[in-house]
Amino acid sequence: MLCFSSNSRREPSLRDLKVAELDDKALREQADTLGLALRIDELRSIAQRLGRAPSFVELYAFDAQWSEHCSYKSSRALLGRLPTSGPDVVLGPAEDAGILHLGEHEGERYGIVIAHESHNHPSQVVPFEGAATGIGGIVRDVLCMGAEVVAVADPLRFGSVDSGHEHQRAVARGVVDGIAAYGNAIGVPNLAGDCYFDGDFDDNVLVNVVALGLVKESEIVHSRVPRHGENFVLLLVGKATDASGFGGASFSSVALDAQEAQSNKGAVQVPDPFLKNVIMRASYRVFSLLRERGIEAGFKDLGAGGIMGCSAELCSAGGFGAEVDLDSVNVALDRLLPEVIAVGETQERLLWALPEEIVEEVERIYNEEFSLPQVAQNARAVRIGRATAAQRYQLRHLGEIVMDVPIDFLTGSVRDTLPVEEPKAPSMRREQDLLCDRTLDDLFHAILAHRDVCSRAPLYRHYDAVVRGRTVIPRGEADAGVMAPIRGSRLAFALSVDGNPRIGRLDPQRAAEHAVYESIRNVVAVGAEPIGLTDCLNYGSPRDARQYGELVAGVDGLARAARGFGLAYVSGNVSLYNGAPSGHAIPASPIVACLGRLTDLSRCVTLPLKEVGSHLYLVGETQRALGGSVLASILALADETVPEIDIDRIVAEHRFVLAAASEGLLRSAHDISGGGLFVTLAEMSFGCLADRRAPIGIDLDGFAGWSAAGAFESAFGESGGIVVEVADRDIERFEELAGALESVREIGTTIAEPLLAFEDEAWEIADLHRSWSRPLEELFP
Amino acid sequence: MKARVAVLVFPGTNSEEETRDLLVDCGADARIVHWSEAASLAYYDAFVLPGGFAYEDRIRAGAIAAHDAMLDAVIEGAQAGKFVMGICNGAQILLEAGLAPGTGEIRRPTAAFTHNAQGHFICERVLLRRTVAATRCAIAAALPEHLLIPAWAAHAQGRLAAAPAHLDELERDGFIVFRYADAAGATDAHLAPQGSAHGAAALTNREGNVLAIMPHPERDAWNFNHLDRREGSDPLAPSGGSVLFKSFVTALERM
Amino acid sequence: MERAFAVELKIPDNEAYTAMRALQRLGVAVARVQRADILIFSGDESDERLGASIERDERLFNPNKHRLESLSAVHPRAGEVWIEAIDAPRSIPMRRLVGWRLYDHAGKPLGSDDLDAACARLLCNSAIERAIR
Repeated sequence: MLCFSSNSRREPSLRDLKVAELDDKALREQADTLGLALRIDELRSIAQRLGRAPSFVELYAFDAQWSEHCSYKSSRALLGRLPTSGPDVVLGPAEDAGILHLGEHEGERYGIVIAHESHNHPSQVVPFEGAATGIGGIVRDVLCMGAEVVAVADPLRFGSVDSGHEHQRAVARGVVDGIAAYGNAIGVPNLAGDCYFDGDFDDNVLVNVVALGLVKESEIVHSRVPRHGENFVLLLVGKATDASGFGGASFSSVALDAQEAQSNKGAVQVPDPFLKNVIMRASYRVFSLLRERGIEAGFKDLGAGGIMGCSAELCSAGGFGAEVDLDSVNVALDRLLPEVIAVGETQERLLWALPEEIVEEVERIYNEEFSLPQVAQNARAVRIGRATAAQRYQLRHLGEIVMDVPIDFLTGSVRDTLPVEEPKAPSMRREQDLLCDRTLDDLFHAILAHRDVCSRAPLYRHYDAVVRGRTVIPRGEADAGVMAPIRGSRLAFALSVDGNPRIGRLDPQRAAEHAVYESIRNVVAVGAEPIGLTDCLNYGSPRDARQYGELVAGVDGLARAARGFGLAYVSGNVSLYNGAPSGHAIPASPIVACLGRLTDLSRCVTLPLKEVGSHLYLVGETQRALGGSVLASILALADETVPEIDIDRIVAEHRFVLAAASEGLLRSAHDISGGGLFVTLAEMSFGCLADRRAPIGIDLDGFAGWSAAGAFESAFGESGGIVVEVADRDIERFEELAGALESVREIGTTIAEPLLAFEDEAWEIADLHRSWSRPLEELFP
Repeated sequence: MKARVAVLVFPGTNSEEETRDLLVDCGADARIVHWSEAASLAYYDAFVLPGGFAYEDRIRAGAIAAHDAMLDAVIEGAQAGKFVMGICNGAQILLEAGLAPGTGEIRRPTAAFTHNAQGHFICERVLLRRTVAATRCAIAAALPEHLLIPAWAAHAQGRLAAAPAHLDELERDGFIVFRYADAAGATDAHLAPQGSAHGAAALTNREGNVLAIMPHPERDAWNFNHLDRREGSDPLAPSGGSVLFKSFVTALERM
Repeated sequence: MERAFAVELKIPDNEAYTAMRALQRLGVAVARVQRADILIFSGDESDERLGASIERDERLFNPNKHRLESLSAVHPRAGEVWIEAIDAPRSIPMRRLVGWRLYDHAGKPLGSDDLDAACARLLCNSAIERAIR
């Protein structure tokens, strides 16, 4: 067990590890005692490069900096395969967040800052704090680009929450409460998200988070000391440093077992959204001060690796070294060990690199105008060091140098080459129609009530969706959340996050392609033009050739799909070592966010059916492939293939849908995803209820016989596609626009009776709604 | 000259910008006043306390803010007849400060918007209806009879609670200005999504110059907040919940 | 028979800090404030079993954040007040209250008059809460 504070002050020089004098076994033992995840070869290379025994502070610094979490050592080479540039990319994945071009308003170019992170391991261990600090961290990533934080989104993967799974249920509730408590308090609306329940996440939930910010492209602040920044002051802002979050970076880079999960609780940070709310507003004030004075500065979030990681990266990215005095750091406890101050991950902290002439004013804004010390005990802005021309990274503590290393050695890329086993692609192809002895009625209700299909309202009603007053479409009212971020402008953006773990289990590459396709499809369904992507790669252990092979296949899938759709990734995150202590990994879980642009928000399309007598069209193809579908899960079908993605055809379909939306021809639209077409149609009718209107019914008179793929595939297959409602007066123009596109078919009409009618069946919308609306209420009352 | 309205920001407030924007769009000269600028408050004709989590709802929602120096100016203004409107957390603060319903001593609350019946935060669309005479509360006086006002309930503590006899008094003397309604305009108590006593969504004081309203009309206040209900072609035009702010500003201009 | 437990934060308690500052502004001579969740059980379970069940309940107790104390009496001590919501559900076998412990500048439990003032002016909204002394 580690000591967080030293009662008797030891000589810093005595606190080192004599790497050269120890054999491998003894070295490993010593490293384990210190709680270091560094490998033997890494330890030896550090000692060799330094030419002496590394100090404890240095060891913990390298441990954090070279962890998977900070260095991406298993995945960096793979990530190079992803497309990262394009016409709408303002800033690719090089800093804390990426930036996409939204549009122009009153002569200013506006960008949307987007970041995508995971907080999986912390959320498994301490669900409330883990999920809350996930929001807290990503909000800082967006803030430090000089942006106003405008939205968050949460893709969640929970374990089985059937009765009896009390721990899994407590984790799911804790995560949702944590997201709500943090996001609601800082006043950032929760705009989008998705949620799956699957026993393969019993020991390792996934809590991803996406955050968006608004920035004028001329006012972007970078996460680096500017070119002329020699001797710039490093100004630490925020919560007093304490012992919480020591060991965080390496903690998220090792697989969890139950006992470790207990002892790791010390590594989980304590969130303070109240302080963050004030820091955000104070930082907005600092942004305008810098703007008025025309001062270029660097700003970076303290995440993994704490003060050390942040100051080293901020300075080295600008071509500088750094000197930091740990004694000047505002601390919450006396006698903290220097390594705890240096690499501990206390929340709610940021680091500025500022020219001397402005430092006093910035300190005044944080400490007096926004009175940080009154908001939380000993919170403040404080000078801790400077950027130096010398290419060293130096830390002082109690007047002594406790760390002195070449900065590029500390922050430079470390890479692991790992053995890969290619996943076996499921090859079976079913030629016959599916045989099933369950009735259509029985299956329809079972699918509507499935936890991955039913209403998410019991979950997302815990989140504030509308604070800031700029929400156009909150979650649940269309396929993507939509927001108009600029006062006085019709510009809007749409956001969707997606990834189906059932596909991940079957076909890792196609899971990635479907995640891309679904997120794009959702954005298109609200009438927004997709402009960019982010990804979070949630996988098992890279040390397991098969699990690493899933990651490789996933990256290839992400690359292929994005290239096909002509989009780039501007931000992303890799979360590895997700799985159970038994070695059983989670399903391959690439999760993708798509950002879309609406130049005129009045062309935005929502999900509820609008009028009786409209025509319903399906835009898309149905395949004889149920792999990854809810139906396959309910019927326990093995050996089903995952639907293929014909990107060229889909691109043409989306172009058509967007053209129809921009002419105002679409009364409503909803994509086909979990549960298939019948669920899509039912949800379009349920939308009327949420709108406090009588539900409009649907007669699927054009449905029979149009699909060669089979009845079950047509009703419940998940091959993608979008259903659109077109008013009778508009069908001529709509069909003219469709032109030669073959995958556009009329499938039915809207009717006044509250029924979903198909051949001999006529379901009451109210009955269907009962099955769909309630299943999550008992989990999230 | 336009009415000068201060939108108060405490540490933890989070709805100041949209509240200010809507007041401006409804014709007021509205400005955000920060907790370190309390001394400037005397300059304003009216005060709006927006939503958020002032002092993180520590001890109780609104309890610490009710003792903030900014409230000294608000209390003084309210007693001199200035308009004071608190929305969501702002409403909780006004109850803790004893300004609404204002039947007891200052800073000795007689009622509270407290923990929702379901025990957690809720965020959902609601409809509100004024259920007292137009003359009862000057801030809401300009609203047409029977109008349903769209708003968002977004709170963890929005359930009105007080001693039963006091609730009866509030009911009898018309303190409950708005109630939760359904699309047909009914205001049965069970329509309050958090179990608020008497279905109450907002309280005024005896003089009618203070309004403490739990749901947020300013979050469904422009056409773009609810495209399917768009009133006219301009998606940026005020609509929906803006009527309450318009009523506030109109009454202010007539003072 | 009733038994009481206190669940106290091990990490810095921002709420207690804020309460102290607010009380000082109101002129209450308080120098230190502690806060705890007070859990009161009725029934025949042993203290050990009740304590273990609290420690297992992830919604009440997190060993990283909290410490658990079994209280010798189901009654506040000197300088202490327990606040309970008047309409809190009483049917369940556990009552949950908030306990405040206030100390004066000599480090002694706050005197009765000062504690009354602290309750009336800040810690208890008597419209919805009762203060147990």
